[in-house]
Amino acid sequence: MGTVRAPERPVVRPHEQSRARYPDRTDTVERDDGWIAWEAYGSGDPPIVFVPPWQIVHSRVWKAQIPDFARRHHVIAFDNRGNGRSDRPVDPATHTTLARAENLAAVMDAAGAPSAVLVGLSSASGPMIVFAAQHPERVLGLVFVCPATPFGEPNPGRDVPFEDLLPDDDGWRKENIHSWRRNFRGYLEFFFSEAFPEPHSTKQHEDAVGYGLDTDAESLAATLRAPPTVDLDTVSGMCARIGAPTLVIQGTDERISHVTQASGLARAIPHARLVLIEGGGHIVNTRDPVRVNLLIRDFIQTIKASGNARART
Amino acid sequence: MRAREPDVAATVTSGDGVRIAYETFGSGDPTLVLLPSAPIIHSRQWKGQVPCLSRSWRVVTFDGRGNGNSDRPTEPEAYHDDRMVGDLEAVLDASGTHQAVLVGLCFDGVWRSIRFAAANPGRVLGIVAFSVGVPFLTPSQPGYVTGGATFDDELAEYQGWAKMNRYHWRQDYADWSQFFFSEIASEPHSTKLIEDAVGWALDGSVDAMLADHDADFPYDRAAVEAMCRSVTCPMLLVHGSEDTCQPIARAHILADLTGAPLVVVDGADHLIPGRHPVLANLLIRDFVRSLPEGLPA
Repeated sequence: MGTVRAPERPVVRPHEQSRARYPDRTDTVERDDGWIAWEAYGSGDPPIVFVPPWQIVHSRVWKAQIPDFARRHHVIAFDNRGNGRSDRPVDPATHTTLARAENLAAVMDAAGAPSAVLVGLSSASGPMIVFAAQHPERVLGLVFVCPATPFGEPNPGRDVPFEDLLPDDDGWRKENIHSWRRNFRGYLEFFFSEAFPEPHSTKQHEDAVGYGLDTDAESLAATLRAPPTVDLDTVSGMCARIGAPTLVIQGTDERISHVTQASGLARAIPHARLVLIEGGGHIVNTRDPVRVNLLIRDFIQTIKASGNARART
Repeated sequence: MRAREPDVAATVTSGDGVRIAYETFGSGDPTLVLLPSAPIIHSRQWKGQVPCLSRSWRVVTFDGRGNGNSDRPTEPEAYHDDRMVGDLEAVLDASGTHQAVLVGLCFDGVWRSIRFAAANPGRVLGIVAFSVGVPFLTPSQPGYVTGGATFDDELAEYQGWAKMNRYHWRQDYADWSQFFFSEIASEPHSTKLIEDAVGWALDGSVDAMLADHDADFPYDRAAVEAMCRSVTCPMLLVHGSEDTCQPIARAHILADLTGAPLVVVDGADHLIPGRHPVLANLLIRDFVRSLPEGLPA
């Protein structure tokens, strides 16, 4: 069992809202220079791991999935290093795609899940692909929700130099370390306005800004400064070798990554199925939770059915 | 698109010839009748309740005269209190509902339930009263006083509660609707509720709204209190602590008059069934489960 330590830099965490379902286990995985916080809920096969996206949010971004799936599955969620109850490292090397894949493996080991269905949002796609390539036997299925990938067009508005001093903070020019230091909350509010283009998203927006405020500008900047560890050819090759059933769920009004990043991923992975949510933005699992949960539920039913069929032959 | 479509959709002709549209859902005992807040909105106001409650009980909804699929008479006599209570009776009869639990919101739902129960104690098993709208028990909220003072005046401009105005309704009813529902659905994250309610209001009729506004109300405070006291069935009162439409003091007074328990929803504004559907449904569920098996026939 890991031990919960005081962070080296004091972290004043916002008061958490009540939860529909509380974890059965809350623990940490120790790393050489810090820790990863994880939670487990419920029981039942196959286990489901909710793989965290960018550290602008933490594991509460799965609050509409966890209580539902924990009724039938062993559910594991964790905070990437840099937000939530995990540590706040400022060394960019902490945040590489390879390191995130190792963290995923370490959490599954600690939580007692030799294999699982992986469900990830946005930039979780990188570590999920790497993990699936390195440990195919541990991946029973892959669900990519609005994945950020190198297989499509970039979001043209986000081509903003992160480190340069810019003359203004207009639009995506808020995605800049100097802007963050001046007004981190302003960036979060802008980012999540883009993430939730759907009407009636005020609660999701408010929640997500709160998750963002759980980290800070310097911790989040470290994640953007992480050196690339997997080039396009490598990730393409990894995708081509994925044998696990794969579902890609994408909103058509994507404004954080780009719709083609999801369709490109669905083409890169053999037999992947792409489901488009008309009018959906970037975080459809919080904005359309019933729809997304039913898609995931049906996907897992399909996996179980084909597994049973194989077992009988 | 609805989460639950009706099993029966029909109309009944009320005593004065106005056709009232009603729907029924499900089949369990007892029947729950969800009263409309008409003519400003119609029966879809209960969209957060019908699919849930109809899994356990038969649910009857109807569009009050002046909105939805019901007729839209335009003379004030058509909106007399007795006519509105008569519509409830007509729907109960036409739908084959001898006894029912009545669920209502605000004046149109709560007061009419009280009136019907007072006159027909053998037909009402219980009343769930959201956002207790019993007139005269206290002064109205300040917005209504402000708007009411100039309702019949043609003004140079219509700002705030002055939008509650005969001329403004005719000129820009959508603006009034947006203002009104934004005022009484003031909790955060109510944008969908407001959008829905404005849509239901725009399904209606300005002429019907004006006729309803101009209708006589035949009771004074003493008569209202006597009517409340005469209700014998079990009641549950539910009121938001931040209700901007009906003063919460009215709920306390009604609780005193009837002995009914009052649930105060902390932080809630007026449209509790729409804004807090799970809470509202659980309160209704627990109330129905608490009722005795039925009244002597």
